[in-house]
Amino acid sequence: MIDWAERAFGSLHQWVFEGIVLPAAGGLGLSGYAEHLFDGTELFLIGVLQLALLLALVRPLEAWRPVERWADRHAVRADVVYTLLNRLGLVPLVVFFALRPAVDGLDGWLRMHGFVPPNLEDWFPWLRAHPLAAFLVYLAVLDLAEYWRHRLQHRLGWWWQLHALHHSQRQMSLWTDDRNHFLDDLIARGWFAVVALAIGVPPAHFVAALVVTQLVESLSHANVRLSFGRIGERLLVSPRFHRMHHAIGAGHEGPARGCNFAQLFPVWDVLFGTARFDAAYHPTGIRDQLAGRDYGEGVIRQQWLGLKRLFGLDRGSRPAPRAA
Amino acid sequence: MPLRLLRALAAVALAAAVPAHATLAIVLNSGDESLSIVDTATFREVARRPVGKEPHHLMKTPDDRYLIVANAASNELVFLDPATGNEVRRLANISDPYQIGFSPDQKWFVSASNRLDRIDVYDAKDFRLVKRFPAPKVPSHIAFDQASRFAFVTLQESDEVVAIDLAAMEIAWKMKTGRQPAGIWMTPDDRHLLVGITGDKFVEVIDWRERRLAKKLLTGQGAHNFMPLGDGRHVLLSNRVANTVSVIDQQTLEVKESFPVPGGPDDMEVSRDGRQLWVTSRWARQVVVVDLGSKRIIATIPVGKSPHGIFLKDHAPRR
Repeated sequence: MIDWAERAFGSLHQWVFEGIVLPAAGGLGLSGYAEHLFDGTELFLIGVLQLALLLALVRPLEAWRPVERWADRHAVRADVVYTLLNRLGLVPLVVFFALRPAVDGLDGWLRMHGFVPPNLEDWFPWLRAHPLAAFLVYLAVLDLAEYWRHRLQHRLGWWWQLHALHHSQRQMSLWTDDRNHFLDDLIARGWFAVVALAIGVPPAHFVAALVVTQLVESLSHANVRLSFGRIGERLLVSPRFHRMHHAIGAGHEGPARGCNFAQLFPVWDVLFGTARFDAAYHPTGIRDQLAGRDYGEGVIRQQWLGLKRLFGLDRGSRPAPRAA
Repeated sequence: MPLRLLRALAAVALAAAVPAHATLAIVLNSGDESLSIVDTATFREVARRPVGKEPHHLMKTPDDRYLIVANAASNELVFLDPATGNEVRRLANISDPYQIGFSPDQKWFVSASNRLDRIDVYDAKDFRLVKRFPAPKVPSHIAFDQASRFAFVTLQESDEVVAIDLAAMEIAWKMKTGRQPAGIWMTPDDRHLLVGITGDKFVEVIDWRERRLAKKLLTGQGAHNFMPLGDGRHVLLSNRVANTVSVIDQQTLEVKESFPVPGGPDDMEVSRDGRQLWVTSRWARQVVVVDLGSKRIIATIPVGKSPHGIFLKDHAPRR
């Protein structure tokens, strides 16, 4: 079954690449970049499959057991746009070209000074012969790094001004995961890339880690009453667990400026004292929205307001909310 | 993707010991961090093993004792037994080895760091780093002159060939080429460098002593990599976009013929008897075997993702 699915995907990948992408690249004089285009085509197709999976599995869950029923889904539209831009590769492409010279430059500079970044396998050679175990170890390390990145997004005032856009959705749904300020995306992916460089994440793992994380995150943002049970809630981030992170009055306040920061594994929240396993499903958003603060409804206005908040130009702009 | 990892795990479980007497081909699945071992008699993949991150190219040591796999992203060389494909040892701290090559006098081991714009020269005896040259942009394939005075490396994104003087350990010169030069090959008379212009559809014939373009040979879109036929006269060139392989006469410097090979033909091997051409299909997760007499495809062998380097235990002479 695995073999069949992989072959089917491989055939689709080849067909799209050789039938559409490569001829188009030839017309533009870009066929010399075939390897990059080949990888880009794979990411695009993975995005398409992800979207199909979300529509086939997660959307019906939202319809079946919604936390909130909305007469008007207007506010969700911007999140759909963010999701398409991200999952179909446009945002990652721009970010890649923005980050690649810096990351490769750093890597090259280190090597010119005699330092070759190590791999986890250098410390644990056993992992070389066990791809699945290696993948899980890399995934756990990356997820730990993502946990701390997320803590900083809430802790540092300037970063919160960007990240607040993500939390300003009061109709949270499966589309909300990619609702981010583009600068926030750039910083987050730069963080991910540097950590990946430091621990030597294999390219295939990089893609696999991204896909697994994105799928779990889409599910965890879904507007669905779904808990993974007493044990499951502690193993994998569920929609109920993550909803608490977005809850008005809980998700961005208190000594840690929030709770339930984990993206995949709640164990980080348990270890660092930020886990809340309440059974309730709270409304989502930011407290100052109740007082009328505007975070924008369309993508362009949201981005613009994010920049204004970042530079303190937004009237009523203030640092991350403190304890209630 | 996760499927690939599960597939790799399953492949490990399937991996059976390869009898030393079997004739084998070793294929590097650069997108899967694995190598495939193919029985050349049955045209079937008999094992797939994890090897390291981004294994792109491989070559035998000058004494023929080992096969070296260069793992670009794990910064290491893996030494295999060429008869079985079994791992013998690993050598760490080899920075981003993409293409590798030994100078003909066996004194130097040169590694092109494709991602990080470096060319590294090591002492071939102990792999001690001798010199690291900044080489923007995207150093790719390597060739040497017969006297081992120069290493020539294509710079894929700055459209150049760079010559490194191995005696003086300095960059001797650079020369402009067509768009995206990749494969580079020294003719047996030591007079001309053949350069595959991957961003276009021809090979540039360079008189390297005069540093001038002597001729252009029209081959096919995506002219990419070379492999000698083994007869001392002809060299094969893969055209990765046109999906063809061209036969070039190195004496007359003319293209003798081209024939189709699907799926993005990349690296090649010729069987010892000169009758079969084995080609990795970069876009198609397969190796294609062509009968060189009839130019017909006689086998298509599924392997891992983005197969790149290939080695035949019983290969034709590299001349």
